[in-house]
Amino acid sequence: MIPTQFDYRAPATLDEAVALLASDLDGAKVLAGGHSLIPAMKLRLAQPQLLVDIARIKSLAYIREEGDQILIGATTTHYQLESSDLLKNICPLLPDCAQSIGDVQVRNKGTIGGSIAHSDPAGDWPAAVLALDADLVLIGTNGERVVKAENFFVDLLTTDLQPGEILREIRIKKPVGRFGQAYQKVPHPASGFAVVGVAVNLNLNDDGSCKSVAIGVTGVGVKAFRATAVEAALAGTSLDDNALANAVTHVCDDVDPNADLYASSDYRCHLAQVHTRRGIQAAKARVQ
Amino acid sequence: MKLEGSHQLEATRERVYQSLVSPEVLQRCIPGCEKLERTGENTFAATIKTGVGSIKGVFNGTARLEDLREPEHLRIVVEGKGAPGFLKGSGDLDLQQEGNLTKVNYTADVQVGGTIASVGQRMIQGTAKMMAAQFFTCLGAEAKTEVGEPPPQHGFFRTALRWFSGWIRKIFSHR
Repeated sequence: MIPTQFDYRAPATLDEAVALLASDLDGAKVLAGGHSLIPAMKLRLAQPQLLVDIARIKSLAYIREEGDQILIGATTTHYQLESSDLLKNICPLLPDCAQSIGDVQVRNKGTIGGSIAHSDPAGDWPAAVLALDADLVLIGTNGERVVKAENFFVDLLTTDLQPGEILREIRIKKPVGRFGQAYQKVPHPASGFAVVGVAVNLNLNDDGSCKSVAIGVTGVGVKAFRATAVEAALAGTSLDDNALANAVTHVCDDVDPNADLYASSDYRCHLAQVHTRRGIQAAKARVQ
Repeated sequence: MKLEGSHQLEATRERVYQSLVSPEVLQRCIPGCEKLERTGENTFAATIKTGVGSIKGVFNGTARLEDLREPEHLRIVVEGKGAPGFLKGSGDLDLQQEGNLTKVNYTADVQVGGTIASVGQRMIQGTAKMMAAQFFTCLGAEAKTEVGEPPPQHGFFRTALRWFSGWIRKIFSHR
């Protein structure tokens, strides 16, 4: 339970952090909340030579509105997102997702950026940013680039982040019109990670039918994904029980569901169907 | 843990089979393989530095080819261990010619133990699937080239180069 030796730096600015990372592309690792990296280091599954602690960069933790967008700094903690009155009003999916993560200690230290960059197959934030069609702002020595959430998650624990890059900001378009959102999750009893997690971002027409729905699913595949077949099957329907029952059967269409000691792939897929239905019902009930 | 899958490669069955038993090709295609040496007629010793995300480990192990029926079937028996844990198991590969393509069906039974199994259990299957996909993508590119052509420049080759240059840099920075 003792990590191998490593260097530790706590830069005061993001530029310094980028330069430190560039000094050792293979051995350096960004530390934010540390709730995935530190346990892995203690088990010696991860052995970085250098930790660059960005959690101490004050200007990286924020939630604010700008024009038609919501901007969230990468080191904003789960607790800050959970307790944000601004978000409860304009984008309730984020606090809803945040409050389901781990326990109080985890939420106080863990960050949204860390969770997204780590891309745990059962992490909660990947599903939420997919459902919200977020833009992720990455910064490296070559400057900034913006990647769509749906292009960011590449494979198991693998993202589009290149060596030396840091996730800086999450940008979300403010939901407009008659919208409803919900995060529906089956937490693993021991770890609190999602056995299945479903993020729903629903838009209704004036007559109450489904204008569009975006569904992000985590815990089921090697990475979080958009359940596009379910989304397509629901568009234009009245979201009645029949339409839902038919649509949710497609949730595992493009994915080979994970199996582990806790849940077989059939059981996981079944959970995904049930909780996609419940997530959509909850989102619908919240439309104002 | 049982693993099954199939991959389609753009090459004849004979080429694919030859690639599968070539230590050079295997070294280039096994994700993170740093060393693969023939120790007997059908036995090999390998050092593999592999992992996903920040989780990485070095494994040393042996592989034995059995039940060789060129060009349709072979069986690989592996055993390895490293700091994060150990694994042992065997896999059967069946090659089917389908026009210009070769379909490789594999079934494997692998036991994984140690730290990686106790804490990474929920990720093992995903990791295995991902590595199998990487391996067969690379093998397809290798088998497609004609005999005598230089090996294709694929991702792992570059990864190995990058690792190597990082290692060199580290040596010099310590002096």
